[in-house]
Amino acid sequence: MDELIDKLKGEIIEQLNLEDLKKEDIDNDGPLFGEGLGLDSIDALELIVLLEKNYGIKVANPADGKKIFQSVRTMAQYIQDNKK
Amino acid sequence: MEAYIKGIGIISPQKTFDTPDFLSDVVETASNSLRCIEPSYKDFLNPTLARRMGRIIKMSIAASSICFKDSGVPMPDAIMTGTALGCLEDTEKFLFSIIDNDEQFLTPTSFVQSTHNTVSGQIALQLKCMNYNFTYVHKGFSFESAVLDGLMTIAEGNGNNVLVGGHDEMTDKYYRVCDRVGYWKQETVSTMELINSKTSGSIAGEGAAFFMLSNHASAENYAKLRSLKFIYKPESQQDVENRIMEMLAEKGLKPEDMDAVVYGINGDLRFDGVYNDLKDGMFKNSTAVYFKHLCGEYQTSGSFALWLASNMLKKQEVPAAVLIGEKKHTSLKNVLIYNGFMGDDQSAFLLSQC
Repeated sequence: MDELIDKLKGEIIEQLNLEDLKKEDIDNDGPLFGEGLGLDSIDALELIVLLEKNYGIKVANPADGKKIFQSVRTMAQYIQDNKK
Repeated sequence: MEAYIKGIGIISPQKTFDTPDFLSDVVETASNSLRCIEPSYKDFLNPTLARRMGRIIKMSIAASSICFKDSGVPMPDAIMTGTALGCLEDTEKFLFSIIDNDEQFLTPTSFVQSTHNTVSGQIALQLKCMNYNFTYVHKGFSFESAVLDGLMTIAEGNGNNVLVGGHDEMTDKYYRVCDRVGYWKQETVSTMELINSKTSGSIAGEGAAFFMLSNHASAENYAKLRSLKFIYKPESQQDVENRIMEMLAEKGLKPEDMDAVVYGINGDLRFDGVYNDLKDGMFKNSTAVYFKHLCGEYQTSGSFALWLASNMLKKQEVPAAVLIGEKKHTSLKNVLIYNGFMGDDQSAFLLSQC
């Protein structure tokens, strides 16, 4: 899991052009949206594409997004549970 | 239609921001592709917003911010920009991701940022400006079209202060594509040697420049923009000269009233004839100035010329780096810009001292 979280952080930084951030700046359990990393709705779309492109996982139900993208750990857990 | 140039902001391959220097310390390069000297964007943009922006968007936001500060106008009554290529870097990114990912997994950011009107939209978003906002995409007439709209807006009383700008960026891919159609020189030419080149092709350039046009006369203004003419595919040199004569006559002026003429000489044997004929004929008594060795050739290079001419009038100075031959006048009252992009899209600006 830790390895996946570390990899995911690198992918998020690259996909969202978070140039000023390093992996260690992202809290595993901190919120991605709002107060945490301050991501917004366009970033949410970028993360959905990231999951599909890099892990072959489609977020079929948009309502699940809030739970999946709560933190890097919840994203990693979702990937682990759904990776084909 | 006339307006005053109240403020300017420009990002170019020269040191044109954050310095009182006026081209006394020219950046020379032996490359055939000139790239802009970019500022620290943290001074102009929230990093959260900047992360999604391509280079030309950031350069344009910075240039427009400098223009707002320079003019003392925080909120324009209208925003008009001109660009031939739009946000090319993001467009390339988006198109290549379509190909690379077999038309799947398309991310929204590069698409959103790839449209030509992104720059004028982003400037408006930064300012929360809900006023008239327009982007012109007309190849070598893009910037000139934005200026014409600005002049018309002021003439019709629809605005007191309007922001007009031109922006285009060069990318490695676009350079290579244009190289295949003969835009660029095959041999490397140094900056100050471009004017002596006797081969076809020019050197590539880029830039973002913004101007605050105003109906308010002030001695603090850079210059008065008195007329703008588009000359599309002129039939002959005589045609060019007749159109310029008409333009000057409309303002009660003659060729000998032009203290200086800024030419769009780009070192391309195929297109420089029109400028040389004007320089050695109709305007033989005017100080001759050129600029594309400093900014390169690009579709909205007229914006660099307008910055140069405006500063020449305000500072009453012709920098040695842009002078062809000798100065013919000690003071500058009227300056004409004659510029074109690859022969077809030619235009003339008439400026006077405030």
